[in-house]
Amino acid sequence: MTTHPQHLRLTTVDTEGSIRIGLQGDLDYDSADHLLNEVTAHLAARPALTDLHLHCAELDTVDSTGLSALLMISRRTSGAGVRLHLDARPERLDRLLHLTGTLDHFTALVPGGAVRSPATEESVAATRPNGPDGTT
Amino acid sequence: MRCNEATGLLLPAAAPGTPLVAVAPDWLCAAHTALTRPGPHAVPDTEGPLHGVIGGRRVAAYPSVRTDGSVAWWLVDDTDHQLVREALRVERERTAFLAKASNVLLSSLNLGRCMDVTAQLAAESLADAALAIAPPRGHRLPVVTCLRGGSPALSTQEGVDPDDVPGLGEALRGFPPVPSRWIDPATAPAWMVPPGFGPVGSIVITPLPGHGVAAGALILLRRTENAAFTDEEEVFARLFAARAGAAMSAARLYAEQTAITDVLMRELLPPTLHHISGVDFAGRYRPSADHERVGGDFYDVHPAAVEGEASLVSLGDVCGKGLEAAVLTGKIRNTLHALLPLADDHRRMLSLLNTALLNSHHTRFATLVLASAVRRGNMVDLKLTSGGHPSPLIIRSDGTVEEADTNGTLIGALPDITATTAEASLAPGESCVLYTDGITEAKGGPMGDALFGEGRLKRALTECAGMPAEGIAEHVQMLAAQWLGNRSHDDMAVVVISAPRTHHLSAVNGRTRGRFTA
Repeated sequence: MTTHPQHLRLTTVDTEGSIRIGLQGDLDYDSADHLLNEVTAHLAARPALTDLHLHCAELDTVDSTGLSALLMISRRTSGAGVRLHLDARPERLDRLLHLTGTLDHFTALVPGGAVRSPATEESVAATRPNGPDGTT
Repeated sequence: MRCNEATGLLLPAAAPGTPLVAVAPDWLCAAHTALTRPGPHAVPDTEGPLHGVIGGRRVAAYPSVRTDGSVAWWLVDDTDHQLVREALRVERERTAFLAKASNVLLSSLNLGRCMDVTAQLAAESLADAALAIAPPRGHRLPVVTCLRGGSPALSTQEGVDPDDVPGLGEALRGFPPVPSRWIDPATAPAWMVPPGFGPVGSIVITPLPGHGVAAGALILLRRTENAAFTDEEEVFARLFAARAGAAMSAARLYAEQTAITDVLMRELLPPTLHHISGVDFAGRYRPSADHERVGGDFYDVHPAAVEGEASLVSLGDVCGKGLEAAVLTGKIRNTLHALLPLADDHRRMLSLLNTALLNSHHTRFATLVLASAVRRGNMVDLKLTSGGHPSPLIIRSDGTVEEADTNGTLIGALPDITATTAEASLAPGESCVLYTDGITEAKGGPMGDALFGEGRLKRALTECAGMPAEGIAEHVQMLAAQWLGNRSHDDMAVVVISAPRTHHLSAVNGRTRGRFTA
């Protein structure tokens, strides 16, 4: 192959009340867990966090596992009462979100829009009465 | 001769004045004669000092010729040195053996081969015969027997109870080995003794430790004429058994995994498609890589339960790879099958499927397309619904390629989904192509880094106008494969639904569905 898969690099900028993570490279099968772990660690370490910005301008390929990680991040931020922002989305990411019908879900989380917070987690549990309870 | 007092300790008969031959052993006398013979004499020993045994001890003898022509023999007791050297040699041999055993054992992931190698290595270096025994399956006990210098042979012992042999039952359950002196060789059952081995002198039974559970047991047999096993040898046998057990355990795990993958593969492989109720179907599937043989793409065609109703096609892509993806794929296909009575309402079907897949632990999702196809006259009516999946493409008879106007949410990650259904009709010779993004995201081309892309796919389909379903599916698959070359790729699946070119046989019955020639 002449193309080299680009490893995901994360640049975290921590300010009061919000965290901004710059994403650089591919968000895919190999790197999705890396981002998810990073975000989960921040959420656990900062209970007072109100906003999480994922800066996507330098994001290359996002595959289905990458999208799955973004969905999980959105579920966790909602559960923690944190607003998730996907900033500076490249056109390709927007196309993917549009195709998979998830663009509204992600953009509805920005301030001004209806923050779906605990509702997301609750309705997951509600639609699965037999499912394990404990949030993730 | 003359001698000092210490000589008396080694050669009690030595006293000044006695001839050397009377007191010293032959090897020393011979060396002395060779050294004192007049004339040029050969260098006595080029390989270090002269060694010999005197009174049960090992002695090194160093001669030095004195000016008066006499020879002074310095005798040095090096018994301990020799013992240490011998121990070192044995340890080196054992280490080399263990290294060889590890190499040979780990190069195979085949359980049968691992057992063969275990028995053979043990028979060569540890005993006169060795048996590698795998844990019993029911009443059958797989045993590989190998005689020293022979080749391993597998036999299955029926109706044998390992607990009848002292120590074997315990070894197969992974308990520490019983010392060999506790095992009476006379109690060895006939199946344990290879034919022609003769009476057994001593037995060692040691467990082959596996990952968590015992991988089996190793039995070492020695003939009566050979020395029994020492404690040291038993410890060494256990070291070997640890390596053999790890290899057998790994081979067993691998075999189990392969078996699971094979079972899943059989369940998950897409069906062969054909002509159903006057509609042509064709499908192609190319999984991503051989080592992850169960892929994330799937398709199914469910023929209508009642003639005249629609058949349902589902084609989708599950996120992730390998077993996780395969399990989700299996769930989706089963759930969709169960929801077939609701196939009229795609949105409801997808919504129920979404609820069934939602899981608070992960956001693993699938994107899929549902297509209902029913023959009406010589047309085929389609209902197409996308759940976050690339829209189906319709090839008209004039070569126009239309994208079905459907979109929706991916399935299995969000609590609520939306989906819109598009309706379309295919005239004879027209087709609808469902595909997964493995096709459009195939990376390749002349520079090797371009995506095959929707545009290229649409242009290619333009040239497929009027082609039969099989031909289109084959063509799309082939184009993507060419585009890729030898590069790695994601799963690729494509399903084509076509309205066959037919002539209505009005003679049969003009008003009802009647019959059609293909």
